[in-house]
Amino acid sequence: MTLSPEEHRRLAKRYRRRTTLTAYAFLGPNLVAFAVFLLIPVVWLLVSTFRTGGVLGPAEFVGLDNWRDTFSDPLARTSIRNTVVYSAMAIPTVFIIAMILALALNAIPRGGAPIRVALYLPTLQPAVVAAFIFTFVLHPDFGVINYAVRWLGGDPINFLGDTTLALPTIAGIEVWRGTGFWTMMFLAGLTALPGELYHAAELDGAGAIRRFIRLTLPLLRPTFYFAVIFATIVNLQLFDSVFALTDGGPVNSTVSVSLYIYRSLFLFGDIGFGATLSFLLVITVLLLTGLQTYLLRDRK
Amino acid sequence: MTAMSTTEHKTRGADASKGRARSGLPRSRPAISLSYVILFIGVAIALVPFLYVVSTSLKESTSLFSYPPDWIPSPIFWGNFESLFADHPFVLWTINTLFVAGAVTALKLWFDSMAGYALAKMEFAGRRGVALLLLLSVAIPISALIIPMFFVVRYLGLLNTYWALILPPLANPLGIFMARSFIVGIPDDLEASARLDGASEFTIYRKIVLPLIRPGLVVLGMFTFMLQYTSFIWPLIAVSDSDRQVLAVGISGLQSAFLQDWGLLSAGMLVAAVPITVVFLLVQKAFVFNDLSGALKE
Repeated sequence: MTLSPEEHRRLAKRYRRRTTLTAYAFLGPNLVAFAVFLLIPVVWLLVSTFRTGGVLGPAEFVGLDNWRDTFSDPLARTSIRNTVVYSAMAIPTVFIIAMILALALNAIPRGGAPIRVALYLPTLQPAVVAAFIFTFVLHPDFGVINYAVRWLGGDPINFLGDTTLALPTIAGIEVWRGTGFWTMMFLAGLTALPGELYHAAELDGAGAIRRFIRLTLPLLRPTFYFAVIFATIVNLQLFDSVFALTDGGPVNSTVSVSLYIYRSLFLFGDIGFGATLSFLLVITVLLLTGLQTYLLRDRK
Repeated sequence: MTAMSTTEHKTRGADASKGRARSGLPRSRPAISLSYVILFIGVAIALVPFLYVVSTSLKESTSLFSYPPDWIPSPIFWGNFESLFADHPFVLWTINTLFVAGAVTALKLWFDSMAGYALAKMEFAGRRGVALLLLLSVAIPISALIIPMFFVVRYLGLLNTYWALILPPLANPLGIFMARSFIVGIPDDLEASARLDGASEFTIYRKIVLPLIRPGLVVLGMFTFMLQYTSFIWPLIAVSDSDRQVLAVGISGLQSAFLQDWGLLSAGMLVAAVPITVVFLLVQKAFVFNDLSGALKE
């Protein structure tokens, strides 16, 4: 059987059309979910930043009023600053602790499995649960840490009631919960490293610290790339532990952007304002992710 | 690169579970001892707070303030657990959480493996565009979408239903890229020969692709389940009926409803920790984390 060039072209075209249809059928459920629960909400956000009302009465176009309100709102600025400060404390801390634990896990000859399970237990808890666990541990009256403080002769510390301590305390709780996850992530990266390179480096007389800086860190770049981006996206959304522990207090020292968004809808019913703040968060995370991708790209 | 890595980290995973020194370096004795010390401290910090919760849950709240604190309650007090199950829909919250997390995980594994197959193996018009769009949306923070999501779900008439909890998480695109990174590693010849035998794409997906990527799907499944089990802000908003609520939100309500009943609260947290821990223990042998970071390579 031979085909004329024209028939050939026609069949090829039909084949391509069929593959395209099949491909979209395979992508279908995800594309529908994507359209309904991501695309429409994002477009809705953008439109709402130029409108007011909509809860009781019909929405009204107000131009840039919401944007002006958001940028001049002191609590909005506080919430952005709190969220950024929190992320800047929590992310490097959890990465360093997790890296040390991963290196230790990678070095030991046996006993790794139960240790990994134990380290992972905090990660399995909802943030609210982790938060409540630490209200016990940190409680001024009966918390174990304050027993220690009193035993040493100090005054009990009110970790969550102090404007300078509350945000670092929340960061600490999130570090406790996140350490297991990042340890496993870094350990997976470490176990994948080529052993031969290390032998060569050792023969060249490179010490452990030098090997870590010159070999391990660069080789782990794909892991770090994922880690930095994922941690940024997750941490800038800080909500659960703040909601459960301080509700933004004391004196707004722990109000996060997500908490303020939540309040603007469920407490004040100011959708335009909440939408603008939300849209800002979306843009910030997108830009940061783009920047990180650029900075951590593979320079070949 | 990705082609190699899929098969590679399977063997690494096997190594890791045997607990050998992986990168083949003979480690010095002091380095190993130091590592054990560090890990001991790490494990202590991870676990001691749980012991505190166990201890608190077995005490009457009045004896909490005794000084010095007794770590081992005497007599053991079971009232917190009794009141937890008798006065609160705790069993219901647990069932809801497991049901919602299980449903989301099952649907995501199915949809993501199909989408991943299309992106990894099919040539079609708009492939790059779709991939880019989905990749961009990985970086959209979900908690910034709670307001529009609330109105979308209300418009669909789904507020306060299980659907409100199950459907929106399906839009998270991260799993598609993980699934794709598993599937890219499957040699093209396998599908090509099946296609010559007249197998449809769906048959190839079901009979060839799915069995081959099962280890990866276990990781993706556990990851999805965990995210879902711990999710808080969306259930808090989407469901107001206490009987349909999930554990995380239910527990946070225990505190405000019965101001500072620490014994009850810690009993609740303890019981809430059990299901997810069991699930994790069941799959943890198969849990190779590299699969996660593999998703965003390239």
